[in-house]
Amino acid sequence: MKPRVIAVGWVLLVGVLLLLSPFAVRDRLPDPMATHWGGSGLPDSAASLTGHVLTSVLIWAVTGGILVAVAAYGRGRIMRMYRACWWGVLFGMGVLLLGVNASTLAANLDVPDWRSALLPGWHIAAALGSAVVAGAVCGYLGRGEPDEPSSGSQAPPRLRLEPGRRTVWIGHVTNPWLVVAGLGSLAVTIAAVMLTVTGPGSGAVLTSLLPVSVIVLVVSLATMSLTVRVGGERVVIGFGPLGWPRRRIPLLKIDSAWSEPLHPGQVGGWGFRGVPGSATIMLRGGECLVVRYRSGGRLAISVDDAEHGASLINALIAERVNP
Amino acid sequence: MLLTLDLNDARPLHEQVAGAIRRAIGEGSYRPGDRLPPARDLAGALGINPNTVLRALRDLRDEGLLEFRRGRGVSVAGRADGRALLVQRTRELLDEARRYGYGRDDLISILEELP
Repeated sequence: MKPRVIAVGWVLLVGVLLLLSPFAVRDRLPDPMATHWGGSGLPDSAASLTGHVLTSVLIWAVTGGILVAVAAYGRGRIMRMYRACWWGVLFGMGVLLLGVNASTLAANLDVPDWRSALLPGWHIAAALGSAVVAGAVCGYLGRGEPDEPSSGSQAPPRLRLEPGRRTVWIGHVTNPWLVVAGLGSLAVTIAAVMLTVTGPGSGAVLTSLLPVSVIVLVVSLATMSLTVRVGGERVVIGFGPLGWPRRRIPLLKIDSAWSEPLHPGQVGGWGFRGVPGSATIMLRGGECLVVRYRSGGRLAISVDDAEHGASLINALIAERVNP
Repeated sequence: MLLTLDLNDARPLHEQVAGAIRRAIGEGSYRPGDRLPPARDLAGALGINPNTVLRALRDLRDEGLLEFRRGRGVSVAGRADGRALLVQRTRELLDEARRYGYGRDDLISILEELP
């Protein structure tokens, strides 16, 4: 069977079960029914049958929709880790929602009033455990073929430098989402300050909002764009539109460089990833400049036109070594 | 963007910068619609005044190679102008010929010998 058919079939099957199973036992449920339990196993909130069905179907529709959209438009499918995570989340979330639904119905079954619907502790463990097991098994089954070896093993690109000329390379990359996030948080901050100053807003809202929006603003400013400069004696990485903070790597410390396509799924997400010695600065998936240090570590930076940058680094290193 | 400046070139600096950018685009490292690195970064990397880079970028915009968009920076508008690129390559060829001791007339006669 095709993976696409399996995925869509599973999404529909879970949706139908979530939709129909409460109605099948409708006559034995209290109205309203308990839908949430506190730490002691006592119910602390209730909803009508329709409310319960709508909530669970909606959660599943959003989850399934996001996963299908990611599979349809994402470029990570070529990676084994990515496929395993995708199938794991799809089946794990489905099993979790079915488990939660079954446990909610079981607790409500044949009770006179929602307040007397008790939730046994093992229900939670069973729902979580089966979801984890289903996710792990399906992730393993859906992992597919191993990844192609990265192009890092190929000969690094070289450039011919001519005497009496100065050659530099500038690579730049912008993440439009972080630009939007930065501008959005700036707008929210300004609006909150204005409302507080002019009267209608309360100080409490501002004090709770301000730290979050300032953090978002600073982080998105520092990571919304990045410039890499190669020339002279060093490689300089400047973050943000101001090019600060910046990081300088002397060419003496670099062994070689190459260009390699990397995606957030491979390196653990966006932003600054990994530990020194195997770090990645990931602003967007795709072409990355990878630098190998003489000390053995490596640094990958997502940047446009990385191939030319790598060739210049290699040429400058070769010129230093054999002038 | 890979930029090369000839340290012995007597032409005005902004012309040389425009030539370097034109060559980088002509070599296909940037396609129409791609955004160029900010002028300030280009200037910083080359160790020259940002106004010189801006003047070069404006020249290339007038040539139709680049377009300036408010808030979106400078991007590549179209393919490099064939004649401008040819003039530039010929100039480089002439420089190289001079290094080997050949003059302009020698180069012209070489061109005429070609089929």
